[in-house]
This record gives sequence, structure tokens and C-alpha cells, in this order.
Amino acid sequence: MENRSDFMLYKQIQDKDKDALEQLYDRYEKILFSFLLKMTEDRTLAEEAMQEVFIKIWRGTGEYDESKGKFTSWLFTMSRNSAIDLIRKRKKPTVSLDEIVNMSDGDSSVESKAEWQEQKDQIQTAVERLSIEQQEMIQLFYFKGHTHETIADICNLPLGTVKSRIRLALGKLKKSLQSVQEGGALDE
Amino acid sequence: MNEMNCDHVIDYLNGTLTAEEMEEFQLHLNNCEECRELVEAVGELPYLAEATEPPAGMKARILANVFDDSQQEAEPIKKQEPTIEAQQTTSKQESKVVPMVKPPKQQTWWRPMIAAVLLLSLLGNAYAFMKLSDEGGGGGQTESAFQSIDLQASEGFGGNAKAALVRDGESLEVVVQADQLQELTGTEVYQIWLLKDGKPIPAGAFETDADGKGAAYYQLAANTEEWDTIAITLEPEAGNELPEGEIVLSAGI
Repeated sequence: MENRSDFMLYKQIQDKDKDALEQLYDRYEKILFSFLLKMTEDRTLAEEAMQEVFIKIWRGTGEYDESKGKFTSWLFTMSRNSAIDLIRKRKKPTVSLDEIVNMSDGDSSVESKAEWQEQKDQIQTAVERLSIEQQEMIQLFYFKGHTHETIADICNLPLGTVKSRIRLALGKLKKSLQSVQEGGALDE
Repeated sequence: MNEMNCDHVIDYLNGTLTAEEMEEFQLHLNNCEECRELVEAVGELPYLAEATEPPAGMKARILANVFDDSQQEAEPIKKQEPTIEAQQTTSKQESKVVPMVKPPKQQTWWRPMIAAVLLLSLLGNAYAFMKLSDEGGGGGQTESAFQSIDLQASEGFGGNAKAALVRDGESLEVVVQADQLQELTGTEVYQIWLLKDGKPIPAGAFETDADGKGAAYYQLAANTEEWDTIAITLEPEAGNELPEGEIVLSAGI
């Protein structure tokens, strides 16, 4: 029972199995809340986004199947979109370049170990291998949910440049993560 | 229809594709390892978040609301996704007996921006309605009634608010738009109450933006009470059944 795969749980949820939804909730509560809080910087908003995510899952909006890749990628994408919707509705975009670069919050030496520490170490190493500028792009685009236009304003760059830089940063992230996962150094 | 290709991967991540485009991009993903890997790599980014303990009671609130929502899915008005405040109210009502009034059958919340637009539109409708009634020489009375109220600030508080009450048969809609309110801190919310003989029921809550503006929309599906007062309090948290905070604004109805 404990080890029902995400996809199995998801199928049961589609059959309106409340226990399955609760299990899925328990499985992802902490990472989702932590992620949504990082995005929204507001506990109430994070909870609201979280609720929308589970309402969508329960209703079967934006259906998941295994052809869509990893369940977590799908879940995080949907969560991020819910957070972005709420951020844009509720908050005026706050823009401060100083706070941008700090991708992983806090001092990692005092930070308590996360349940997802292994993944965190990997992605953190991968991100640290990117240039500061690429890290900025990921922070502004992915975590802050800014539109290309806003990023162009913040960074004082032409729109086209922003688009290609985001694309480049994500591509680089992909390579960098792959190389971390394979345990090698980035050969570039 | 443009064929979906690698150029659309960012739109895909941002959820800005239409359902049809989404399906097409999905097909592209199946065939494009490059994009698939990129999506997977981006899917690892959330793990950068610092582990944070979720708020107490969040699970109960969310699950109650998710399941509650599904039971009422058939009603079109439920398409609006309730906010946390609404859900806290609902879940508390299950365990507590509210004196004097039946728990409203159906509560719907709109987000502040929508509420603001609604208020304008209601005011517009009311104006048109009154105009029509005038021209019609008082004939054709319907059961719907509209009342606009200016709330007055209590001593020690600033700000102003307008409320609109719309009675349509058994349902009562309450729209409030407030301005120049003091900033909220922490979990505080502005809570709206309807009172009769000093007994309140919650009738919506809102948070303010940076300019001290806020708005709320609330609907009582089966309202039989003749309310005599509307008040807004500053509550330490959302979802209170009875006011704990001080009255910021109020008016007789």
C-alpha cells in the first residue's frame, strides 16, 4: 500500500478515491508547500495555491498520464502555474535585483536537511555551475514567475534577448544536471 | 495551426498553450528527447526550496475543501474556486453550531479584483433598474432589491468602505469595496459581518493591497434574516465564526 506509485494513486484519484488523494497529499505536502512558499513568499498565498493544485487533481483538470514524463515534473509545473496565477492576481510584482541571485535561500550550512536533500544537492550543484546571469534568468523566470516582458524591464534587455537567454539558461541547466547525475564534471 | 516544436517549450512550462496546442506539444515531447530532458531538468528546480513546515491544519482545510467542492461541482456557480478563507469558514461550520442562522447553503467567493468589478457592475445595474422603475411609473415590481451603504470608520481607525446588498428572492449577495485601510500583518484579515440584534454571522473576508484597498463578494443562498448592521472587523486570522478583533468600519442597514 505504502509504495503505490504516483501514477497508480493518480488513477485511483480519478476514480474518486479519497484515500488515494490523501496519500498523494501526504507524499507531496512538504515539498509543494516549500516550493510554493519560495515562489509566493507568502504562507497564505502558498496554501491557496496548494489548494488549487489539489482541487485540479481531484477534478482531473489537465490530466496526467505516463506519456507526459515524470509525475513530479507534471505536478510541479501545475503547482507553479497556480502560484503564478495567484501572484499576478494578488501582488504587484516586486522587483529588486539584489534579492535575485540568492537562488537557494539561507545559509546552507545551518539549513536543516530536507527530505529531498539528495535531489536538492544535485540540482543545487547543477545550478551553481551556471553563470550568475543564467542563474538570474532561472530565478526570475522560474521562481518569480515573471513574464518575459517584466524580465526585459528588470534587466534592461530587449525582449528577444530575454527569450533566448531563458532558453539558453534552461538548456544549460539540463546539461549541467545530467553531468551532475552522471557524476562527471561539466565539460565545456 | 502551427506545428508545435522546441520553440514552444517555455510556453508549455508556463501553461500558456491552449488545450489543443498542449496536446500537440505533448506529441512533440514524445518525439523530442531534447525537450523532454529539458522539462525533466526544470522539474527538479523545486527541490531547491528550503524545507518549510506547512501551517497547522492546512491538510484538513485543503482536503475538506477539495472534497466539499466536488460534491457541489454540478452547480455552475461553484466553478469559482473558493479561497482559503471561505474554506476555513466552511470547515468550521461543520463542527460548530451557529446560533440563530442556518449555515448558508452555498458560499461563493470571488477574488478582490473580480469583486471590485462586480460592485461596479451591480451599482450600474441598480442604477439602470431604478431608472427603469422610474420610467415604468412604479409598475412591475420584482422581488429583487438593492441597497448601497457607506460604512463609517470607528474611532481610532481610518479608511472607508462601500457595501452593496442585493436581495434576489431568497438569496442575498454582499459586495464590499474598501479603501485606505491600515495594512494587515501576519495572518490578519478584514472580516465582514452581518448583524441582527447584535448577533453576527461572517459574510466574507478580504485582504488589502499595498494601497489599503480590498474587496469581497459573498453570497448567502438562503437568507431569511432582516439584518440591521454591517460591520468590518480586523481579525487576527481568517475563518473566525465570531468576531475577535475590533470593529474598523460599520453602518446600519
